[in-house]
Amino acid sequence: MGVWKRNLKLILHNPMGMFGVATLSTFALLAIFAPLIMPYDPMKCQYIDGELARLQPPSMHFLLGTTHFGRDVLSQVIIGSRVALIVGSLAAIFLTFIGTNIGLVAGYCGGRVDSLLMRLTDIAFGIPFIPFAFLLIALVGPSIWNIIIVISFLMWRTTARVIRSQVLSLKERPFITAAKVSGASHLRIMYVHILPNVLPMSFLYIALGIAWSTLSEASLSFLGIGDPRMISWGQMLYYAFITGSARTAWWYVLPPGICIALFVISAFMVGQAYEEVVNPRLRKRNS
Amino acid sequence: MERRYIASRIAQTIITLYAVLTLMWVLFRLVPGDPTAMFLSGRLSPEDVEAIRKLWGLDQPLHVQYFKYMKNLSMGDLGISFSYREPVLKVMLPALFNTLILMIPSILMAIVVGTLMGTNLGWKRGSARERIGVVLSLFVRSFPVFLTGIIVLMIFVHLLGWFPLGGMRTIGAFGLSWWERFLDVSHHLALPFGVAFLYYVGDVVVISRTSMLEMIGEEFLQFAKARGLSDKKVKKIAMRNAIIPVITYSTILIGFAFGGQVLLEVVFAWPGVGRLMVNSVQIHDYPVAQAAFFLMATAVIIANLLVDFSYGYLDPRISIQKR
Repeated sequence: MGVWKRNLKLILHNPMGMFGVATLSTFALLAIFAPLIMPYDPMKCQYIDGELARLQPPSMHFLLGTTHFGRDVLSQVIIGSRVALIVGSLAAIFLTFIGTNIGLVAGYCGGRVDSLLMRLTDIAFGIPFIPFAFLLIALVGPSIWNIIIVISFLMWRTTARVIRSQVLSLKERPFITAAKVSGASHLRIMYVHILPNVLPMSFLYIALGIAWSTLSEASLSFLGIGDPRMISWGQMLYYAFITGSARTAWWYVLPPGICIALFVISAFMVGQAYEEVVNPRLRKRNS
Repeated sequence: MERRYIASRIAQTIITLYAVLTLMWVLFRLVPGDPTAMFLSGRLSPEDVEAIRKLWGLDQPLHVQYFKYMKNLSMGDLGISFSYREPVLKVMLPALFNTLILMIPSILMAIVVGTLMGTNLGWKRGSARERIGVVLSLFVRSFPVFLTGIIVLMIFVHLLGWFPLGGMRTIGAFGLSWWERFLDVSHHLALPFGVAFLYYVGDVVVISRTSMLEMIGEEFLQFAKARGLSDKKVKKIAMRNAIIPVITYSTILIGFAFGGQVLLEVVFAWPGVGRLMVNSVQIHDYPVAQAAFFLMATAVIIANLLVDFSYGYLDPRISIQKR
């Protein structure tokens, strides 16, 4: 696996890639060790001198202040990294898996299968994502799994198109003809000979998928259909907004907001760095 | 462009539309329980519930309901709103108009400004300005649109008081002249417009920059240079050709814009289709929610078709191939 090791090295060599990997790892650590790091129970209402600590600005007591219901913002932000990480990674893996397979089969088989799958992709592109996801989840009930399912169900479309076009050019290459002549089955050619060559592209779409899915989860939670049993950054902003706290309580808005933006931008940066690795044309001449 | 191409593209659009409609029908049948359970109070006697089910055709088999739904839709009958007690179409049209007022100018401006910025960044490959521009556009792209909206509201409305809080018109302002009304709406429009522009422009910059970078090695540019054209003129030729991927992208942008639109309209209390959909779902007014989604999906699909047709005019190579 020398290639992967070299690619990782090249990503870390790139300042943007380095930044992205470092931030995402920090969020992962936060998510794993959340119970140890959180100063308070994120759902517990806090009291000062027997009174509910409603919308307290940051202080030594509550480093990032409190929410409208008197809960600790810092603890909520820390536990919120779990939803971002779970949705981001799982949805990204699922959508890349679906997209890669559809692209692979469409590109390799060609003909009717290809046009059928590509029409399916066109239909997926015709569906505005946020409205669709909002309706679906509002109708079947909010849960983190429904969010992951609806993202994977629709967002594979870009990956499928890109992978297909790669497969189209790959299948004309001599080594595929060689494989055919030596009697390899279609399945074997697709998954043993072509797939390894498109995997780098698929991995790029995992990085981008993390960014899209996290943004989508935050947006859907902001519309009030986040998982009611889990705290997410988008949901924190939803409550800040509907309670009217967002007018003045910057400590309630900025921490979850910055976390979403930082998480998404890191995933994009890893993607960008990775793209420069797999697409040497974009690499600078002297690095 | 060839006639057959146009015909096949239109047929394809109809199929897509049909698939989306069917999907929507299935979606609304996913609601746990019966639609009657949603908004009829439990006080009705079983006979009354049965009568209403019959009135709405809910006692018929599913396939009959499906064909009826398709028939009504194809005749422009979107049903009657539960909460407004009016035909859905009558509720929907003003909302659609409001959505378009916000969306069309911000998308157009994002495409024009973004392309200019992106192609310029691409032309100056490797400069410090390029690096900053790329990071900046990445940054803009990663900021969820509702967050930008909330922060903008916090600063410009609650802190500085420069703009009105949400909505589209000042409530209770009657007897305004045409011009005053225009100013009032523009005043309300300024913030959501700015946020929408910022949200859309990032991607356009990134894409036009990449496509400009790809232009640099093209033979026709080398030829232009060899002819002794000034750098400015060569750049102009490169720009004209770099626009095509931006047009391709704009099909995706339009679909994506309706998503952003829903969030923006909620944050700025803008009375458009997106907000109408969210509110309707909250009060279980399903005919309106369904129609709002239908409208957005149709707009995306038709916009995609129009953009596809515009290719032929923009890139002579494509139209020649088609001929």
